[in-house]
Amino acid sequence: MKVKLILLACAVMFASGLQAQVLNKLKNKGEQKAGEAIDNLFSGKKKNSGNGTGTNGTNGSNNGGNASGNNSSNQGSSNGSKNNPTNNTGGGLVSAPPDVNQNLADADVAYKKSSYGEARYAVQQAMLGVELEIGNKILKSLPETISGMSKDQSADEVTSTGYGWAGLTIKREYNGDKDRQLRITVANNAAWMAGVNAYLANGGYAQQTNGQQNWKQTKVKGNRAIIEYDQNSGYKLSVPIGTSSLIVYEGVNIATEADMMKAAETVDIDIIKKQLGEQ
Amino acid sequence: MKNLIRIVLVLAAFGTCLPVGMASAQDFDKNLAIAKSSYGSGDLENARFAMEQMLHDLDMAIGKEILKMLPTQIGAMKVNDKEDNLTGGSGYAGGLFVHRTYGMAPKSGQIEIINNSPMISSINAILTTPVLGGMMRDENQKQIKVQGYKSLLTKSVNSETAKTNYELQIPMNNTLVTLRIEDTNEGEITAAANNIPLAKIAQIAQ
Repeated sequence: MKVKLILLACAVMFASGLQAQVLNKLKNKGEQKAGEAIDNLFSGKKKNSGNGTGTNGTNGSNNGGNASGNNSSNQGSSNGSKNNPTNNTGGGLVSAPPDVNQNLADADVAYKKSSYGEARYAVQQAMLGVELEIGNKILKSLPETISGMSKDQSADEVTSTGYGWAGLTIKREYNGDKDRQLRITVANNAAWMAGVNAYLANGGYAQQTNGQQNWKQTKVKGNRAIIEYDQNSGYKLSVPIGTSSLIVYEGVNIATEADMMKAAETVDIDIIKKQLGEQ
Repeated sequence: MKNLIRIVLVLAAFGTCLPVGMASAQDFDKNLAIAKSSYGSGDLENARFAMEQMLHDLDMAIGKEILKMLPTQIGAMKVNDKEDNLTGGSGYAGGLFVHRTYGMAPKSGQIEIINNSPMISSINAILTTPVLGGMMRDENQKQIKVQGYKSLLTKSVNSETAKTNYELQIPMNNTLVTLRIEDTNEGEITAAANNIPLAKIAQIAQ
């Protein structure tokens, strides 16, 4: 009886030891495969799990363990990318301007229901649509080239929030040889614009600069203006138009003040005034 | 530069200020019709102008609704409803501005509500950014919560009368409610603020 018990105990111990060995081997194999999969992933040799599975298949039946090890490594790598994915698809946003007529109709409906917040949102959207159209018309009115510099259409920009006070901003860039650049910005109806225009047009600017000759008052096509020069940024010409609009010309590497004025005068200010409803 | 800032502030404060009651549904309908016809005929500038007026009409309508929600009394101070004032939305002033006063000097108070104004973002930044708030903190200011909204309470002492005045600024999304009371204490102004239906105002003003 004692002998039987000893044999049984030995069998259990042997079996458990064997089982532990097998499990340990499986674990080691799994870790090894996981390491290989990660190495492959980073070295760019293998990027998908299909290859890994194929390799396992050739190893025959030891393979439950290997397969699971490999799967876990694949899951590990895919989980890693899930944690911090990089977008590599998607069509971006549709940049169509708001439908003005539809938004006006929506505003009407909302107003009649006394949903004033909704009505205001719809009017703002309609206004955004109109301002973008105005901006694009002004961009079309600007010359194709100025003083040998060609327009950079990719830099054309019309910005509007649809809020009456936030205003409309239109930007155009011209580039030429020898790093010459002329940037034109038309700002209209911003909350601060009337104050700025009053300030510039009434000589407030002159009073504050204490006689430093890096600026002076001038005229562009009959409109009062301020021209400034800075060694680093070049010429800047600000022309207030009407009560709430301003045209700013910024010239980089423009040779002389006369060249800057000549470049500015190629822009038809009257068309801009008309589009913005300025007198 | 100071002159420039002054001009902007004056324009912002008084740009399109109108007494209550001037805007009406007829104005909105009329401006809507002008906007539609001008846009249809390609007169974009006129369409835009009409839409600015529509925004103004809407802000006036919203302002009137807000005035109806405000308390008619703060403590013993009764509303001076003839002094109610609304500023319309578009144009240079920017956003909605509602102003109501209570009582008479030396014991008086006022509520101001501004909405969608370019001024709000900077005030909100100061009130809601701990770093900025910390930099600008002084011993007469502290942050409190009113109906769950983080608010800034400022105490000041009138140098002539030696009486204590308080101002409470409550930012809510794109709306700022300011309550000022002269000759008061923290308890009174906090109780007064709790009588203002902040959530409803934020909802209608958004």
